[in-house]
Amino acid sequence: MNVVPYVIGILILLIVPLFLSTYWIGLVTRFLIFALFAMSYNIVFGYTGLLSLGHAAFFGTGGYVIALLHLHYNVNLFWISLPLGVLVPTFTAALFGLIALRVSGIYFLLVTFALGEMLYSLAWNVKWLNSRGMQGITGITLPDLAIPGFTMDRTWYYYLVWIFFITSCILLNRLVRSPFGTALVGIREDESRMKAVGYNTWLYKYLAFVISGAFAGIAGMLFSYYNYFVSPKHLGISTSFLPMVMAIMGGLGTFLGPVIGALVFIFVENFASIFFPQRWPLMLGGLFVVIIMFAREGIGVYLWRILKKVERRFGSIKS
Amino acid sequence: MRWFIINMLNGVSYGMVLFLIASGMSIVLGAMGITNLAHGAIYMVGAYVGWTIAVKWGATFGLGLLVGGLSAGLVGLVIERGLLRHLYKQPNEQVLLTFGFVYILSNLCLWVWGGYSKAPFTAGFLDSSFEMFDFAYPKARLSIILIGLLLGAGLWWLQDKTRLGAIVRAGMDDKETTMGLGINLEKAFAVLFFISSAIAGASGVIGAQLMGVDTELGMSVLLLGLIVIIVGGVGSIQGALLGGILIGVLDAFGRAVFPQFAMFIMYVTMIVVLIFRPTGLLGRKI
Repeated sequence: MNVVPYVIGILILLIVPLFLSTYWIGLVTRFLIFALFAMSYNIVFGYTGLLSLGHAAFFGTGGYVIALLHLHYNVNLFWISLPLGVLVPTFTAALFGLIALRVSGIYFLLVTFALGEMLYSLAWNVKWLNSRGMQGITGITLPDLAIPGFTMDRTWYYYLVWIFFITSCILLNRLVRSPFGTALVGIREDESRMKAVGYNTWLYKYLAFVISGAFAGIAGMLFSYYNYFVSPKHLGISTSFLPMVMAIMGGLGTFLGPVIGALVFIFVENFASIFFPQRWPLMLGGLFVVIIMFAREGIGVYLWRILKKVERRFGSIKS
Repeated sequence: MRWFIINMLNGVSYGMVLFLIASGMSIVLGAMGITNLAHGAIYMVGAYVGWTIAVKWGATFGLGLLVGGLSAGLVGLVIERGLLRHLYKQPNEQVLLTFGFVYILSNLCLWVWGGYSKAPFTAGFLDSSFEMFDFAYPKARLSIILIGLLLGAGLWWLQDKTRLGAIVRAGMDDKETTMGLGINLEKAFAVLFFISSAIAGASGVIGAQLMGVDTELGMSVLLLGLIVIIVGGVGSIQGALLGGILIGVLDAFGRAVFPQFAMFIMYVTMIVVLIFRPTGLLGRKI
């Protein structure tokens, strides 16, 4: 495997805060969080072929755990929040997986959608899950790492997110290259054949769903610190839509596709919400339709081909 | 007893709206294998057009119902002919495409009709109560029950007794043979999609009598429709009817008994049905 481009990418992400204003650091942080979210979605949809419309359920649960620890227990210590912020979404995914995997195909989408919306309306209606007098929980601050003489700021938080992002990339890469990952692709391509070969396909799908939920939970947890605020909509369909767009835009079932998709999405979203805030959903929907109709492989795959062409013409960048 | 009858009627009338929403989705899903996630958005377009005609322009409610249904049908037809038909046999792409239209149509409606939600409206002659002995009930709600029953009968007739229904059922089972027999399946699918969208639009105007119109309907109506389909079972009119009325009645009694948790009843119903009968109450094997 050619590691040079990856090392270059990691280094760029490492030094990039030195040259950017706080605003741009925030934007890059946002990109990394959503790239992680989109990668986790890619495990379920891209690799396993399960079209889920409720992935934000786990993203939002991660965010709500952090927010609730803040609101009710005044806990901001990262070493307490982190394990809970991973475990609760994983548990939610384990539970939802049992219900949603009762059905297959398109019906899986309907059930995941409804389960996500159930959490949305739960968060909307239960008083304990909201700050006083509003919908959602506000007043979240950056995590406390309990290191003497160290104060967390936006730049250091970027590095914290960076560590999570790189670690998750390595873990997920291991996962998709393992026999387990290959079996997931096999299930996507032909489930009945995998069954005939002797795989317990239900278990594989279930585990993929739960693992992906865990990583979505991490992304959600990081997002709630970044955003200072979680709202019911972070559990619902409008948030579930985002990783889907990113993963499809970048290239489903490719490892780095969702990252490229997230990069394009976050920056387009940023400019669109500055210049046409009212018409952004229209543009998003239009863009999505165009991608589905004409660029289903994802722009990441196109970029990859262009890179290959450049390599052929000017020699490899490996040397 | 009186409490029971009123809640029962509330539940059945609400359930009929749910049935109207789900029936159109269920036909397309069962016959064409397309999950039309834009169905809620098409419902909303119909409701807004109906509101414009019946309230803003002050024409009759019936005209609003007709034009709302037709314009929604046209929107559906454009989506099907323009885009969806290029994606047959690719269920994931079809679903995703229709989902893009939820955003497009919702934002267009926001653009045209603004962010303020429209209050429920009804026909002049229905805007009063039906009275019998000492018992009064809004006529609008009774008319919804009647329309729902008529439409259910019409759809059942379309599905089981007409040439179109037979073509569509045959096409589902064996597309190649059906087309080999010289039947224009594409045309049948286009007609079916138009009918389904027109029902969505008309139910938007009918549903506006209870729920009003707002720009969030694209998603919320979609959710209601999907849950009814999951509970009732896919692809049959009877399933949509049973699912709709069951959810409607449970919801009405839930609102009366423990209002705070009423909205979770439909989710709980859905989960219970999924655990014990994943195909839905009247569904075929999926």
